[in-house]
Amino acid sequence: MIILKHVSKVYPPDSHALRDVSLEIGAGEFVCIVGPSGAGKTTLARMLIAEERPTRGSIEIGGWNITRVKQREVPYLRRQIGVVFQDFKLLRNKTAFENVAFALEVAGETRKRIRETVPHVLKIVGLDQKAHRFPHQLSGGEQQRVVIARALVHRPKILLADEPTGNLDTLNTNDVIDVLKKINAFGSTVVLVTHNRDTINALNSRVITIADGRVVSDQKHGKYMLPE
Amino acid sequence: MLFITSTARVISFAWKNLVRNAWIGLATVLVLVLALLSVNVLVGVNAVTSSAIKALEDKVDVSVYFKAGTPQGILDLARSYLASLPQTANVEIVSADEVLGQFLERHRDDQKILDAIKEVETNPFGATMVVKANRTDNYPFLIEALKNPQFSFAIESQTYDDHAVAISRVREIAKSVRYFGLILTAVFILFSVLIVYNAIRVAIYTQREEIGIMRLVGASNAFVRLPLILDAVFLALLALAIVGGLMALGVVFLEPRLKSFFDGADPGLMSFFVANAWYLGVVEGVTLVVLVSMSSWAAAGKYLKK
Repeated sequence: MIILKHVSKVYPPDSHALRDVSLEIGAGEFVCIVGPSGAGKTTLARMLIAEERPTRGSIEIGGWNITRVKQREVPYLRRQIGVVFQDFKLLRNKTAFENVAFALEVAGETRKRIRETVPHVLKIVGLDQKAHRFPHQLSGGEQQRVVIARALVHRPKILLADEPTGNLDTLNTNDVIDVLKKINAFGSTVVLVTHNRDTINALNSRVITIADGRVVSDQKHGKYMLPE
Repeated sequence: MLFITSTARVISFAWKNLVRNAWIGLATVLVLVLALLSVNVLVGVNAVTSSAIKALEDKVDVSVYFKAGTPQGILDLARSYLASLPQTANVEIVSADEVLGQFLERHRDDQKILDAIKEVETNPFGATMVVKANRTDNYPFLIEALKNPQFSFAIESQTYDDHAVAISRVREIAKSVRYFGLILTAVFILFSVLIVYNAIRVAIYTQREEIGIMRLVGASNAFVRLPLILDAVFLALLALAIVGGLMALGVVFLEPRLKSFFDGADPGLMSFFVANAWYLGVVEGVTLVVLVSMSSWAAAGKYLKK
């Protein structure tokens, strides 16, 4: 599903964000990518959605080599990978329903499909009763679940979550992680970038640890190994 | 179907943006209005200056005084010769009798002069020919043409020498005014272009977060750009309509007030704008729409590449 071969990223003049990273993530996996600040986790996540291009190496997603993906092809890639960020990125003047529908509207989907799909994904994340609330009327965890619903609306095979619980308390963190597990159970590949020790230890899933731009460990049922 | 859905959605997004960002839109319209007004005011000033110069030029002519008793045939010959020249705008002959009549009318309260004329018994005046050139720089040519030996012997005097300095000064002033008017208009247009570009950039800067989210959820570049361009075009057309209204009000207000400076003659402001309204509207409209579209395209591109 996701294959990175000898990927390096160098920011001019000589800042190495990633050094010769090679890894494979299979379909349906739940993978945590962990590492200290500045390790290169976010650079890796940004490369997967073509926000950054590798300096060396190649990246393949679902058989599509996106190493040198053209600018006009990026929107089609983004519709295949659901993305969730720490800072929510919700439109403040749209309701939860409208924020989720927005992702379908920009893709040119019909009103009929929007009316059918949006309530369905909002139900998956447990927000069907709060569909018409604006972001400021929702808790941090609920806002993040709206973002997850929006990421799911294109039925992506991969969900990439970069520090999705970074701004949340324990209760909301658990809610968001439960939703991610549910999505993974439906068959989607989930890539969770985080440095939350408790979350990683509780998940008991594959853990890839990055430090100083390199993969330092890759455990099938891993724990948080880094010092706090 | 997809095309219709997408087009309808682009228009709908553009309209929602416009309504939602009404204050930013208003500020942008204000800047566009000021830029357009500055150009139009300058165009108006140029029109009035041209009218003033034309009025001055119209006052310039050459009066040719023929000797008393010059036969009508010579006068007709002189008139037809000058009228045939392409440099001539108009030739008029005032007969000797008319000249005498005008003289007597002018001095009707001066008994001494009236008595002196009566004493002479015959008309002491010759006919006068008034020649107008179609351009002030053609007067030297016409003066030269008056040296034609077929009638030059009958000419007693001419007034061109009296006007020569005035004519050359009017020509210099007209040339300078037109030259600096053009430079000033070009500078104002350049400033306006920069102002409009920056106004659009600021308007789009306020929407950078939304642009980022659109990209994140898979909107194509065209889908992100088109509503922004459409918004800018809406604002440009609104600004154009406001400027049209303001200019109309301004011209109606100023025209009668300017007349006093022109001794009651037409200052040329209203006639200029009435004659050129469509031309100015189309040129300014098309320029503004192209300018704001390109500005929006470029400004949005900055956030699409990030």
